[in-house]
Amino acid sequence: MTDGMRLRQVRKSFGPIEVIHGVDLVVGEGEFVVFVGPSGCGKSTLLRMIAGLEEVSDGDIEIGGKDVTDLDPSQRGIAMVFQSYALYPHMSVRENLGFGLSMANVPKAEIAVQVDAAAKILKIEPLLDRRPGQLSGGQRQRVAIGRAIVRKPQVFLFDEPLSNLDAELRVSMRIEIARLHRELGNTMVYVTHDQTEAMTLADKIVVLRDGVIEQVGTPREVYEHPANTFVAGFIGSPRMNLLDAAGQGAGKVLAAGAEIDVPTIAAAGSGKVTVGLRPEHLVLTASAPGTLKATVDFFEYLGGTRYLYCQLPDGQSLVAEQRDGDDLAAGETVHFTWKPKDLRLFNPQGLKLV
Amino acid sequence: MSVDAKQARQRRKFWGGFGYHAFGIGAALFFFAPFAWTGLASLRTGTEAQQPPLPPWPTHGVSFDTYAVLNTFGAGVWQHVFNSTIVALATVVLTVIVSLLAGYGFSRYRFPLKNVFFVLIIATLMIPFQSILTPLFIILAKLGLNNSLVGLVLVYVTLQLPFSVFMMRNAFDAVPREIEEAARIDGARDLKLLIRVLLPLVMPGVATVAIFAFLNSWNEFLAALILLSDNEKYTLPVLMTAVRAGRLGAINWGAVQAGVMVMTIPCLAVFLILQRYYMRGLMAGAVK
Repeated sequence: MTDGMRLRQVRKSFGPIEVIHGVDLVVGEGEFVVFVGPSGCGKSTLLRMIAGLEEVSDGDIEIGGKDVTDLDPSQRGIAMVFQSYALYPHMSVRENLGFGLSMANVPKAEIAVQVDAAAKILKIEPLLDRRPGQLSGGQRQRVAIGRAIVRKPQVFLFDEPLSNLDAELRVSMRIEIARLHRELGNTMVYVTHDQTEAMTLADKIVVLRDGVIEQVGTPREVYEHPANTFVAGFIGSPRMNLLDAAGQGAGKVLAAGAEIDVPTIAAAGSGKVTVGLRPEHLVLTASAPGTLKATVDFFEYLGGTRYLYCQLPDGQSLVAEQRDGDDLAAGETVHFTWKPKDLRLFNPQGLKLV
Repeated sequence: MSVDAKQARQRRKFWGGFGYHAFGIGAALFFFAPFAWTGLASLRTGTEAQQPPLPPWPTHGVSFDTYAVLNTFGAGVWQHVFNSTIVALATVVLTVIVSLLAGYGFSRYRFPLKNVFFVLIIATLMIPFQSILTPLFIILAKLGLNNSLVGLVLVYVTLQLPFSVFMMRNAFDAVPREIEEAARIDGARDLKLLIRVLLPLVMPGVATVAIFAFLNSWNEFLAALILLSDNEKYTLPVLMTAVRAGRLGAINWGAVQAGVMVMTIPCLAVFLILQRYYMRGLMAGAVK
């Protein structure tokens, strides 16, 4: 696999404050990479550094095997789609699409061919003579994507492209972007804080926190085998239950008054650990040793699923997701069990225990 | 609803609308009257122009005598119109260019003491320019630019800049940064970026700056009077004082009216041409 893009020890400082702390990342050609993380984690800054809109304080960036760290944005082989679309309001859609090529002194006839091709891919041919002000949000976003396609970039950069759209449009544009990636096959880097977008679009998810990569992996890896408590808590909605527990020697931990078997871990020792359980893995059961006893606080009925917000005897809270079963009243006592393979264990530093 | 109630409501609506429009028309006439008065009076014949001003319209047929008389003052009215036009246009062009670049710089670049410089520029608005006319005169004399239209243009541009830079900075601040970034990715840099992408977006600001620069330099009197000493270099306002002062104690009111018309019409034209942008310009930055 050739490199679509490679970041090596990339750092960014604003004055004395370092916001990106040495990021290393390899993106294969044609891969769809999604940066996720809470706001302020540096995901947009990192994207803007790849685009060349922010200077790189240290480290270097390669695109298609070429060092682009100090190149002008237009010479990096990238195209970017902004959250606010950033169309040129005084130009028609046609001029918007062709602007990059006309700046590169491409002949007019050639520009027309390229613009028509891009408009066809995105089905915006009837809009070519309108101004951006006369378009709806979804149409504007298509034009913005079209402007990126016309540049024929090696890497597409998306900065939260769907967050200005309403929920329904967001779903259809998401599918559109996935289709586009399949058809064009370019490398794509996509920043979002929306987990659904990240999970559905990505070949590879990069979870960032405070300017540091916490985990890189396929959506399945990141969801099922989070590298640490941060990723475990960030990916998935509702978030994974993270319970404080104490190791009880080989293969056992004590959490919220229940002794839990952790056969996958040879020795949890006697120190503190954190037990991770996804809400959908918790199953209601009869009282038995090794189950978690909890009191129902709230019950939410969402049609297909229902959420149980519970409190454990030691005051920790727990969320469980149920597919069926009767309504439960607040104050009822319930017991949960789970399959041993679904339980995750983290050490006091928050790292996954293998 | 009963027929009576319906009629009553329509009557109320009619009188409400009537009052609204009557007031509007009245106010418009009030503002238009002096202009119409002057315009009509300037069309009276030579002898009639010397008569008492009522009625203001020509009673013995329309004539352009007063304009011919106006042409006998100074170096001929065309020369002075030419001077004023050159000065006003040069002031507009220079002011727009400098304030466009300065406003862009203040809006987009980060440099030490940026806000101090900006406040200093704005602060110069507080100094009445009449108080610095003498030093200005001396500086221009040292530069060999006294009694020249070029010197006058430079003074006007200087006086115009604080407001213009302020205006253009606001205009650039209102342009989303992403548009500029998208253009940079598309390969537009420096002047190309400024002219092809940003200029159309700050057009309201440019129009506002241009209107103010034109009106202020076209109508400016004191600096022109003090800095110019050759008869044929006078701008229109200076010519007008000569007309207004009269000859041998006799003031030709017809010529005065004609002069007022000559001075007003270009201002009106500029304003009408640019007013669409101007209105938007005044609002720019008011609402985020």
